[in-house]
Amino acid sequence: MVKKIVLFVVLTSGLFSQDAYERNCVGCHKDLPTTLQQMFKEYLQTYSGEENVKAGLKHYLRYPSKSISVMSELFIDSYGIKKKTTLNKKELDEAINIYWNKFKVFDKLK
Amino acid sequence: MLVSKNKATNSLLKSEKKSLLRFLTLYVAMVIFMITLLSVFYYQSQEKLMLADQRASLTKYAYIQTKRLKVLHYFFDERTTYPRDPRFKSAIYDIEFMKIFSILNDESIRFDEEIYITNKHIHFVKTLDTYYLGTKYLIIEVEDDGAWRGEIWKHILGYGLIAFFLFMLFGLFLAKLFLKPMRDSIMLLDRFIKDTTHELNTPLSAILANIEMMDTGVMVDKNKKKLNRINIAAKTVSTLYKDLTYLTLEQEKQNEDEEIAVKPVLENRVEYFDILAKSKNITFVLSLQHATIFIDRRKFIRVIDNLISNAIKYNKRGGEIEIVLQENMLSISDTGIGVSEDKIPFMFDRYMRFNQSEGGFGVGLSIVKKIVDEYNIQIEVESKEGEGTKMVLKW
Repeated sequence: MVKKIVLFVVLTSGLFSQDAYERNCVGCHKDLPTTLQQMFKEYLQTYSGEENVKAGLKHYLRYPSKSISVMSELFIDSYGIKKKTTLNKKELDEAINIYWNKFKVFDKLK
Repeated sequence: MLVSKNKATNSLLKSEKKSLLRFLTLYVAMVIFMITLLSVFYYQSQEKLMLADQRASLTKYAYIQTKRLKVLHYFFDERTTYPRDPRFKSAIYDIEFMKIFSILNDESIRFDEEIYITNKHIHFVKTLDTYYLGTKYLIIEVEDDGAWRGEIWKHILGYGLIAFFLFMLFGLFLAKLFLKPMRDSIMLLDRFIKDTTHELNTPLSAILANIEMMDTGVMVDKNKKKLNRINIAAKTVSTLYKDLTYLTLEQEKQNEDEEIAVKPVLENRVEYFDILAKSKNITFVLSLQHATIFIDRRKFIRVIDNLISNAIKYNKRGGEIEIVLQENMLSISDTGIGVSEDKIPFMFDRYMRFNQSEGGFGVGLSIVKKIVDEYNIQIEVESKEGEGTKMVLKW
């Protein structure tokens, strides 16, 4: 019984220690050949500014479609379009903010 | 119309000078404004020309930098060193005008202009179609040595001065045209007076000589009064005649300067004008001390005659004329109509008359001014409308 409780605590604490981005994004993307950073650069190349990137990304996650995807046709043909997000607004914003802060170019150039 | 010129008409009247000065001030201001405006346009066009020259090389730099950004974009995060070039500095900004990275010396960027000059640099703003690293605006900066500016200033100063000089010459020509009608009318008047004066001489001399010769002792009072009136009228015309003769003929004569005792001259002239003064019940109040002056007697008498004659002419009936003579100072004051302060500067202009009810040509005080100026005698006018005028001569 004690072993079960310890195992449960370890598993749940591991789950809750992850942020919205890691919980909801990393898991699915790790199986794709294109990294999240490369995708970020695609977004950056298309939308440029922070507000623009976030808005573009949010819109795509809510209403995924081939016509507004930043990825190449070859990629979409191979891996298809993702499913519509089930995250609520708060969680989606949080995940996107973390994603931006993780890969933004600001302060990284020297 | 051809009219002869003499010395009197060659000099500018005060009112002429004022008109000329106003015209020239306006003209100079206009010329300066025009040259400044042209200089500004020239400067701007030269600046545009210089920037057009720079644009070609800056576009090339922007192209090179864009290619380097593209490479950096694809190899980011392995490479994080911003591409630098010794020929130029650059900066990258995103679509929201947020600075991504910059090595510019001057950070004042105008995103709405393609190429412009900042303090000591030239900026070229290139808008990218593909936002490598999020870059929407790529700014290329090169140093502006300002050599072109020095060249432009040299041109502006050089051509500006030449243009100013030419405009001034043209202005003088215009001013002459502008004054010509005024000059012509004055010369015509001079000519008329000269001709008229000549015809007055003989009859006037005859009248005055005959009055002097008449034996008043045997006359009845009624006739004495009539003769008196004739005498007054003849003396008035005589004074005017002398002024006009002086103005048209005598002033060009050689001066015969001498040391003159002023007191006897004044007494003589007061006696001469006494009959005229009495006709208006004007009394002379004299306070004469000994004083001398070095001057042409003829001219000095013209000054005294005009001042006394004016003091009588513009005095009220039963008024007073006070004449004070001290060493190097003579004042003649009346109790007449006076002149307002704003008209005093024009009192000495030829043909200037403030009171149309009195006769005359308005030449008396202009003669006085000419003579006192010639002998460096200072003349001061103190006048109050309705109270009187005081003329002070200092030498």
